[in-house]
Amino acid sequence: MNLANPITTCLLAFLAVMSVVASVRSLRRLSRPEQCKTAGVAQRAVVAAIMLVTLGLFVRFWLFEAGWQPVTSHRDGLLLMSFLLSGAVLFIQSRARLVGLAAFALPVLTFVLTWAFCASTWTYQPFDLPNLHPVWHGVHLTGVYLGTACCGVASVAGGMYLYVHARLRRKQNLGGLGRLASLEALENTIIRAATLGFLLLTLGLISGVVVASEGGVPLSWSWWFGPKIVLAVLAWGVYAVLMNVRYASSFRGRRAAWLSIAGLVLLLATYVVVTSLPYTRGTQQDELQNDPAGRAAVIQPTEGG
Amino acid sequence: MRVLFTGINHRTAPVELRECFASRGDTESHLDAFRERFPGCECVIVSTCNRFELYITRPMHGSPDGDDLLTFMSQRFDVPMGQVASATIHREQDQAVAHLFRVCCGLDSMVLGEPQVLGQVRRAYKTAAGCGSAGPVLHRVFQQAIATAKQARTETGIDAGRVSVGSVAADLARQVFADFADKTVLGIGAGEVSKLTLRHMMDLSPRRLWLVNRTLKNAAELAEAIHLSADLGGARQWEQLDELLVEADIVVTSTSSPTPILTPQMFKSILKRRRYRPLFVIDLAMPRDADPKIGSMTNLYLYNIDDLRSVVSNSLGQRGEQAQACEGYIASAVTACMSQITHADLGQLIRKLRTKLHDIGDDERQRTLKKLADQPGPGEIEAALDEHTQRLINKILHMPLSQLNQHDGDAPLGFYAAALRRLFELDDHEVSCSEDDEMPVSKTETQTGDVRSRTSHCDQPKTTRKMA
Repeated sequence: MNLANPITTCLLAFLAVMSVVASVRSLRRLSRPEQCKTAGVAQRAVVAAIMLVTLGLFVRFWLFEAGWQPVTSHRDGLLLMSFLLSGAVLFIQSRARLVGLAAFALPVLTFVLTWAFCASTWTYQPFDLPNLHPVWHGVHLTGVYLGTACCGVASVAGGMYLYVHARLRRKQNLGGLGRLASLEALENTIIRAATLGFLLLTLGLISGVVVASEGGVPLSWSWWFGPKIVLAVLAWGVYAVLMNVRYASSFRGRRAAWLSIAGLVLLLATYVVVTSLPYTRGTQQDELQNDPAGRAAVIQPTEGG
Repeated sequence: MRVLFTGINHRTAPVELRECFASRGDTESHLDAFRERFPGCECVIVSTCNRFELYITRPMHGSPDGDDLLTFMSQRFDVPMGQVASATIHREQDQAVAHLFRVCCGLDSMVLGEPQVLGQVRRAYKTAAGCGSAGPVLHRVFQQAIATAKQARTETGIDAGRVSVGSVAADLARQVFADFADKTVLGIGAGEVSKLTLRHMMDLSPRRLWLVNRTLKNAAELAEAIHLSADLGGARQWEQLDELLVEADIVVTSTSSPTPILTPQMFKSILKRRRYRPLFVIDLAMPRDADPKIGSMTNLYLYNIDDLRSVVSNSLGQRGEQAQACEGYIASAVTACMSQITHADLGQLIRKLRTKLHDIGDDERQRTLKKLADQPGPGEIEAALDEHTQRLINKILHMPLSQLNQHDGDAPLGFYAAALRRLFELDDHEVSCSEDDEMPVSKTETQTGDVRSRTSHCDQPKTTRKMA
């Protein structure tokens, strides 16, 4: 266990546990609303706490870690995602009357925080910032993490859409949770978040290609058709469909909600591939050198992992 | 008289069964058929989309009983007897009256405390009164039920806020749509339910509100009744229904059509033309206007009258206090109403008894006067008066004593004995203890301790005992 930063690890563990408890309570509330009258407030409080603690961690890194930049490791990226997702959920819930969104955001936040805890404790690996192009790398990470946060919002709205849709179809008592967000509002949220996510992911993918092909060396076919790129392009395609769902009417409604969840799953799978598989930079020159293991540890984080 | 209630409602019968009762004939014809079958009975039929209930009075010992009413309903509406029997509830006397009071107060409604049911009961009562089917007892019961409901609603606030099927439908529409400024509402049918629901829909401020009815004039009248301005929408021809369904986002349908007017075949093409925009259909008609199969089509949310019940199932919990207060009003009002019915019944009975006794007295008087017309002597006059008195007593006692002898098992013999003792103030000292033991103990006696006093009489030495 990497205890180089035990305070961060402890705080992340605390957030993850709190988020798990809140998620369980929110799921319980969805199934038996009469037993959890105050769960709505508690959920928003937990989401707000996650946002504040992650913000506090950033401030702490900035103040106390010499030479720290906003995203220096995958852990920071996940923390940034948690912060953005929780902030976006609180903002959307208060502005667009998307009541109940926090209940559906908590499981996603739990997953991201648990991953951040693991990335902080067992697989902490800072990016090789000195060897990377500062601008393109910055653009790449910003696009990928912010885009994923937007896609997270879309998938949270998608999950809630499926829940409300199921309740409307089953004609269950919709008064039990108070007024939940309407299907139309949720679909709008999915489309808007997916549109923003699509734009940021596009930026992240393009800048990623630029970073990978640094030096003007052409990228190999095996790189283009590797699982990371295939998954990323699939996710990008899903969001391309999702942002045009009003025009591609056969994907409206429930299908759009499923697409938003599928898109996030593809993105997370891309992260898993990036962080777990040995990395090759992808240039023909690198392949000729046939030395992926030697570079993997250094260059791996450049693609967001 | 005995007050009976038999019927089905949204709690006991599914919408499919209620449709059978709603779709056949009108209330007047049912009332005529009832009176033809059970002459001498009073009847009011309350028929709404949520209930079909018969309130009846009949002589204390006579027909119809519960089985007769089930048979009548089964035959009249062509529904299998088993199906009717399993869904029907039957109440008598104070329970029947209490049920009507609860219905009027909205405690038995799908949406707790909804005010529309009071108007529906009033209309049912007026219809029965117009047909001559409501007699003195039902006049009293229904008038008191309506008056009590008004008072209870005012004082408990059970109907405060938006608690009608229309308001629930509007709330449900908010679960599908976020903004109504760009939405179009389509009302199909021009009945009372449509009017109430569309009023709530207008509160949502939709972009357009169209009304369609087979008779355009009725749709235009409805538009006027709900103050629908020309720039917001208006009445449209029935032939435009398909086009309007493509445009509409919310459809409220409540026609009296016996067959569905919104079918899956129709919607297959309509949904494509709508580009699968969500469509919210509220079917408040009985029988239903929308084929249930359309409810499973893509992005189409169909709610019928029974589905709305699940949406508002927690309204009882939210209005528990008001409902409890309302129940209190009902309990005291039912007691008062039943007391009035009993007193009125007793008064009528006394009048009949008096008339009968006067008739007997007049007959005997005429007979005795005829005998005395020949100027008899003093001895003959005394004999004639003795005979007159004896005949009068015998004639008056003949009926009750012969009934006692015939004893048909309606009530125990001891009951009649106790009644005679009480009515004619016959001294208990003169009756044997063994007979006392057979007498039923009334509630009043139990409460006042008369049982103890009677037992103590038995312990006393038996003196002169004469049968009454």
